[in-house]
Amino acid sequence: MARKSWQIDRRQLLCGGGLALGLPLLDGMAWSMKGRELPRRLVVSYISYGVYEPKGEKGQNHPWNWWPGANPGPLEFNESSAPFAPLAPYVSYLRGLDHAGGYGLGGHSSGDVFATGADMGGTEKTNNVSIDQVAAKLRGHETRYASLVLGTEGGTGTYGRAKTLSHRGPGRPIPAEHRPKAIFDGLFRPYAGENVAAVRARLAREASLLDLLLENARGVRRRLGRADQEKVDEYLDSLRSLEQRTQRIDRWTHVPLAEVDPGALDLGTSRRDPEAYTRCLYDLIVLALRTDSTRFVSFMLESEASSDSETWHYASHALGYEGATHDLAHKRPVESGHWDRWRARQHAYFLERLRDTPEGEGNLLDRTAVLWGSAHPHASHSNVNYPLQLAGGNALGLSHGRLHAFEGARKVPLANLLVTLLDAVGAPVERFADSTGPMPEVLA
Amino acid sequence: MLRPFIIFALASTAAAQEDEGLRPFFEAYCIRCHGPEKPKADLALLDLGANDERWVDVLDVLVLGEMPPPDETQPNPAERRAAATWIEGHLDDLSPAPAPAAPTARRLTNPEYRNTLRDLLGIEIDIARDLPPDPAEPYRFNNQAQTMLLGPEQLDRYLESARRALSSAIVDPTPPEVHRTVRTFEPHPGEFTGMRRDEVSVYGSKRNTPGAGISIKSWPETGEYRVRIQAAAILPDGYDHAPLRLVMGTELRHDAGTGSFATVGVVELRNNVDQLAEFEFRGRIENHPRQPALETAKGTQPARMFLYAQNLFDNGELNDHRRSGFDSSWNYATPRVVLRSIEFEAPFYETWPPAHHTRILFESPLREEDPPAYVRAVLERFLERAFRRPATPEELARFERVFATVAPELTLEAAMRETLAYALVAPQFLLHAHADDDDALASRLSYFLWGSMPDARLLELAADGALQAPEVRAAQARRMLADARAQDALRDFTLQWLSLKKMPVVKVNQGLFPRFLYTYHIGERRGEEVLFRPTIRDYMLEETIGFVAELVRRNASALELVDSEFAMLNEPLAAHYGVEGVTGIALRPVPLEPRHMLGGILTHGSVLVGNSTGSAPHPIYRAVWLREAILGDEVPAPPAEVPALVDSAGDAATGAVTIKELLQRHRNSGSCRDCHARLDPWGLPFEQYSAVGAFAPRAPAEGARVRAFSLAQDEDLDGYAAYLKGVHTVPVDASATLPTGTAVDGLNALKAYLLEHRRDQVATNVLRRLVTYGLGRELTARDRAAVEELRSALAADDYRLQDMIVAICRSDLFLGG
Repeated sequence: MARKSWQIDRRQLLCGGGLALGLPLLDGMAWSMKGRELPRRLVVSYISYGVYEPKGEKGQNHPWNWWPGANPGPLEFNESSAPFAPLAPYVSYLRGLDHAGGYGLGGHSSGDVFATGADMGGTEKTNNVSIDQVAAKLRGHETRYASLVLGTEGGTGTYGRAKTLSHRGPGRPIPAEHRPKAIFDGLFRPYAGENVAAVRARLAREASLLDLLLENARGVRRRLGRADQEKVDEYLDSLRSLEQRTQRIDRWTHVPLAEVDPGALDLGTSRRDPEAYTRCLYDLIVLALRTDSTRFVSFMLESEASSDSETWHYASHALGYEGATHDLAHKRPVESGHWDRWRARQHAYFLERLRDTPEGEGNLLDRTAVLWGSAHPHASHSNVNYPLQLAGGNALGLSHGRLHAFEGARKVPLANLLVTLLDAVGAPVERFADSTGPMPEVLA
Repeated sequence: MLRPFIIFALASTAAAQEDEGLRPFFEAYCIRCHGPEKPKADLALLDLGANDERWVDVLDVLVLGEMPPPDETQPNPAERRAAATWIEGHLDDLSPAPAPAAPTARRLTNPEYRNTLRDLLGIEIDIARDLPPDPAEPYRFNNQAQTMLLGPEQLDRYLESARRALSSAIVDPTPPEVHRTVRTFEPHPGEFTGMRRDEVSVYGSKRNTPGAGISIKSWPETGEYRVRIQAAAILPDGYDHAPLRLVMGTELRHDAGTGSFATVGVVELRNNVDQLAEFEFRGRIENHPRQPALETAKGTQPARMFLYAQNLFDNGELNDHRRSGFDSSWNYATPRVVLRSIEFEAPFYETWPPAHHTRILFESPLREEDPPAYVRAVLERFLERAFRRPATPEELARFERVFATVAPELTLEAAMRETLAYALVAPQFLLHAHADDDDALASRLSYFLWGSMPDARLLELAADGALQAPEVRAAQARRMLADARAQDALRDFTLQWLSLKKMPVVKVNQGLFPRFLYTYHIGERRGEEVLFRPTIRDYMLEETIGFVAELVRRNASALELVDSEFAMLNEPLAAHYGVEGVTGIALRPVPLEPRHMLGGILTHGSVLVGNSTGSAPHPIYRAVWLREAILGDEVPAPPAEVPALVDSAGDAATGAVTIKELLQRHRNSGSCRDCHARLDPWGLPFEQYSAVGAFAPRAPAEGARVRAFSLAQDEDLDGYAAYLKGVHTVPVDASATLPTGTAVDGLNALKAYLLEHRRDQVATNVLRRLVTYGLGRELTARDRAAVEELRSALAADDYRLQDMIVAICRSDLFLGG
């Protein structure tokens, strides 16, 4: 079998040359994907507390304004967006978009709806399915993991204090994982050191326990009236999907795990060193994508409710700024610009990693659409007009290099972009959240 | 409109339009707006089908006199009554053939899950903390089948939670190592006039004193802890106690705003320093957050927990924008806590293994002699309580197989933890099923009145079939209401019924209300709310929850919700509302006088703040609240894309236009008129109560701007108060004409109107809320007669609340589910 170039060369190194990928890699996948289309991928990444975005003509041309240029058209990289200059053919900026469903949330809460666009108009409503999970539901079966849900803080958070971007549906947030080692082990050491035989034995035991639970639930079902049986069916469905997960893991035990040596990738890295930590998580996403372990990723960087987390001082660790990151966003324009550039550097690092990984005729970034942004403009508790950057996916039909402004009389919902992205990654939907159609402006 | 009864069906084949008796009435009074062409509210009366649920709405507005609108020709009372009777007659004909039944089985809500595990395992662990939050909707109860969904994530998390709970409940045989941390604080020797090192004032303390916390470096993963302190109080004149709270968790950093904790306990110190007293607190170590080990430049900082003593004194004047911990005179003027020593010990146990362990893995010779029989006996006992009914032989056999599957290579304890964890993700535990048997009836009672599992007594009665007897259910309901667990259910009920949870997130304008919040006056966080202390907003929530609980405890009339002769207050609340003579942070019933302008829940801060903009009252929010929570109406949401009312306080309070005028404009603009004409009048009488819920009968004159508090201009809060008094010169216009045409002026007039003309409606609403919560489903038109029967029976004795709850439990409605 001829090696296709998208297969990963064992000598290709990640993470400063320390992370070696050994062979055999993805043999089963390579075989099963023979003659099939290369993967289409989606990454949604969120930065908290908004960005520096001064208003007025002077403000729009401010060198530290987050937006690369005041006017729609070709990008004019400035101090803040400079890290993306080398990526110009791979990035676009989208101005004037947001989720109307998030307006009712407080100014510290819009991360909740970034990837869902759900109507959170009251204080007590619930969120809805996120774009990565829509894609995972339609295409997730093609990889070992349907999706990867990461965050720097971990968990789900609570209503209005989300710490994850991903939701399966109303009231069903998916907890984000934040521990590098747990992420790495989850992706590449799912058997926790057991040999495959022991794993299959454990899975078999779990399967029989789930079977017993299913049998038990069916017994309960028989005791109930027809209407109540529906509720037990809901339970049975959940149980079955846990069983399917067990079966899925079991099935994939027949596909060799990607042999990935963490090497110099410092999985013990602490959030006290934000650059190392953030890059480590981005590296893990790159690894997950290039090994085709998953194709749909969400990544929430900090959250607007991080006061109970050490990442509250993220900016101070990164920039030596004294005080909470939240205050930085509110008070100090130039520091805020530096903070934006710091975050831009980390994200540009990620995009460059993808760009520098060959795949097919092009590279990983060509086949990975990456949405990056926040749900707040600078220094206010407003949650309209999100700062948004779209990157990659050039081979999926996306076109780049421009600043788009959706600022006409008629408000364009951000959900329209999500519809177009889902289409680009092979998971087309008629509608998403409050979408009114696709967004052809971002397509080639 | 009353909340529509859903799944409504008129049984009669005679549709309205075929009945000449009603047609003339509609044609005379209604058809101009509700005719076939573009009917208002999309309600074409002559085309209303026999099965249309809106017949109930039509009936309600007719009976209440809300329709036709006051400016239209009115039917005479006899005509009105005749029309109502016609509709009622058809409602009573409702087919006994059931509409397709909605599911009533549902998963436990998070509070129920927490309470149930607490009662099942006998340990107080906040195990629901890590579960995804329950979905919720304003003015709706979430203990319903449609809301309490169960997905794979949730199930996964339940398994995790169950494993965690059982790792606490079942211990290993060897008694664990006991961890102990002791710290004493010696007063400064000799003559010393400053704050001493063993003192905690409301503003903190000297460094290296109890207020700075003690650090605990070793503790067990699970188990009960005991904290013992030696403490006393230093009390200035007029105070008889100092409130001390102990909290334990991560490091609390006011400068950085980081830290989290759980409360260890609260004690009111009444003894002076010559009589140091010892106090003891117990709790579960699992509930307290711990500071993880940190790598720093200086090396590894080990994991720690911090135990702090807080002085919760609050006379409502803490926030004067000047004082800080450096103003020692204030420290002497207020009660101080003296803490001589703290001792932390964990795990603390009187016997090993502890009772919660032997409750599951009980002592028995079987354990050695016949292990399989022992396992079976353990499972049988546990499952009966976990499933809230005896396990069937098949169920028992299945969980024996679970045990057999997990047992290899595990100790009995470990295998039982895993087995029982699987039992706690079984639907028999997670789902609250409304089956028609006695066991389900016991659960229905216990989840209604306790928010938790039935106790042994209820299960015994269920086993005997005794719960079928209404008198037995009534007696049990009285017993259960007297139990402390009733507070859990009442809290959950009240929070949802009155939609109180949004109150804490309303951002109060600190410039206009500088005393409301207790803020930092120095440092990086200047102007932000002081952290880690209960605030007046917390007390306001407790005020409302405590008030409802007190009404139930007294078996008071439901109408006392509208007006009462007492309020539940503590010192900071009393100071806020202007009630004198209340000291201490404990809430208690306080008799009211008319001049306080308080009484009922309409004047509660939780309601008034939650339904304000944070700067100004918001008559629409308050009107919606009144109609939903008190009158039981369903207020439709505004249609999409309506222009929003300018609701910023600033605009109303400092601009030339009052909210009332804004509303008037809004009301007069075509599309908004019909809804707002029936909504706004209910909110306008609340205008005498400010955004922070204080009685404020005067407003700025037209065109006057109200500036925010400024230390430079006002010097102090008294100066600002004087300034405000000078600006607020005009009586607030709190007059409104209700949809029925009655004019009311101010909240007292509105309350009087409600008590005179809406008694039955208010009582019906409370009754229906309780029934809805108790049955865990929305009521349908077929429940209408049963609810009405209950209501009329309760009317004679003024709708007493405890009687109402008991009547629900003994009714056939409760039996049928």
